[in-house]
Amino acid sequence: MSKLARAPLKLHPGIAIPVIAVCIALIVWLVSFVVPFALAAQAYAILLALLSFRYWPPMTQWVQRMPLPHRLIFGVLIGSMILGHLTIRSAAYFPFIGWEIFPFAREEDPVTCRELIATTASGQKVRLLVEQLYPSIVQISPLNENRPDLMEHLVKAMARTYNEHHALDPVRHVDLMVMAVKLHPPANESRAQPSCELLKRFDISSGH
Amino acid sequence: MRTSQTFRYLIGPLELLHEQAGPRLLRLTRLGVFLLWITKLALDPLWRLAELPRDLLTPTGFLSFFPPSFYDYFLTTTNLTTFLFLTMAVLMLCLTDRAFPLVSTIAAVLLTAYSCLIRSFGPAVHTDIVLLLAVYVLAGFAWADFFAIKFGHKKSSPGSWNSFPLVTIVALLCLSYMLVGFNRAIAGGPRVFTGDTMETWTIDASLRGYYFNTNVGWHIPEWPTVVLMLRLGLPIITLFEISAPLCLVSSHYRWIFIPTMLSFHLLSLVLMNIFFFDDMLLYLLLIDWSRRYPSLRAPQLSTI
Repeated sequence: MSKLARAPLKLHPGIAIPVIAVCIALIVWLVSFVVPFALAAQAYAILLALLSFRYWPPMTQWVQRMPLPHRLIFGVLIGSMILGHLTIRSAAYFPFIGWEIFPFAREEDPVTCRELIATTASGQKVRLLVEQLYPSIVQISPLNENRPDLMEHLVKAMARTYNEHHALDPVRHVDLMVMAVKLHPPANESRAQPSCELLKRFDISSGH
Repeated sequence: MRTSQTFRYLIGPLELLHEQAGPRLLRLTRLGVFLLWITKLALDPLWRLAELPRDLLTPTGFLSFFPPSFYDYFLTTTNLTTFLFLTMAVLMLCLTDRAFPLVSTIAAVLLTAYSCLIRSFGPAVHTDIVLLLAVYVLAGFAWADFFAIKFGHKKSSPGSWNSFPLVTIVALLCLSYMLVGFNRAIAGGPRVFTGDTMETWTIDASLRGYYFNTNVGWHIPEWPTVVLMLRLGLPIITLFEISAPLCLVSSHYRWIFIPTMLSFHLLSLVLMNIFFFDDMLLYLLLIDWSRRYPSLRAPQLSTI
């Protein structure tokens, strides 16, 4: 007696796709009780992207052609990058980090920023930028006047480095300024420069 | 029928990038990656970090395992200069292909230490991370070649293995874009794409000024057209970021992706002082050189 083969369930794509989408949304919603929604949703999005490559024949053939050591390296690197991202920790597992660029909404008006403006012996005003005096540093954390000791150490180090390269016109004092740019300035307001306000002055001429 | 043909023409052929790559292309990629690192290090006065206050240092990555006394010893002008020249010497050895698995692994460790160190004075920024991962790929696959040959892999010949590291580097580059896109769209939510978000980010970055300081971006409240461009640009760029892995399969997509993202990176430089030139140079790997130039194909495929 031959066994009857079960006919495959046929669903119109117009029904199947919404059903799948609802199922995925339901799973993501359920998982979001265990891990934050943003992470669960990202994990599923990444999974879907990986699966679409997994079933693309040229990619399958390419991976099948790989000897085992190559597959291991490929899997470890891709996997580490994804896991590192899902940890959303920027420094701990470097270079497998959370990939966050413009990651959240910011709506502040005016936009403010701390700057260090040095005045040299000749009276010239020079902006001191950590990233230019120490080009190894791609970006430094925003200056924070709430840590006065650290700020003073940093300012003195920057002035010293600047003076090493400008011995004829050294820095005499450095001003910590807060610069502000209005997102929606009044029409009659001059916008040649951002408005600035002095927060603190550091005297450098003492020779420290 | 005609619609389907037009659609197929628009999508173009779906072929895996670098599938036919030969040893010359892999060699050129190695040269490019290591020469770029050598240039970056040659232009970097790393020893100046010794002048910075120690309380500014928050060790990044594996450097956090070292005790604070290590930094008192290591962060001196002499030691930083020695470390820089040692790293450059190892990178130059990588150019010779002698004992490549071992030398490139040492280079990967030294470059990781260097990248962690320069990020220990600020946030772990994303520039040149894919370039560092490219060194991991080149070192890792060199070891994989070594072990596969040693244990007599039979399924495929070593001549066809050149595409593995190249595709992996492009995959990591595209994955980095995709993760950025997913994170912004999912974690950031719709509010990132509405309101004043993009102007705020632009003015903030422009005011802060990094190594490149164009001093342009903070003017944008005066330029409504630029504001409109930024607001429309962010969702478009996010879509390109999310779909970046298509670069692995579609040449037509790559020809849209490359100019779009190059324009985005150049605008980021002008308006925000942020320059991802390492990623831009890695875009050279988004061109399927081996399909264009037979001399760059794997030997058994060069007659096709």
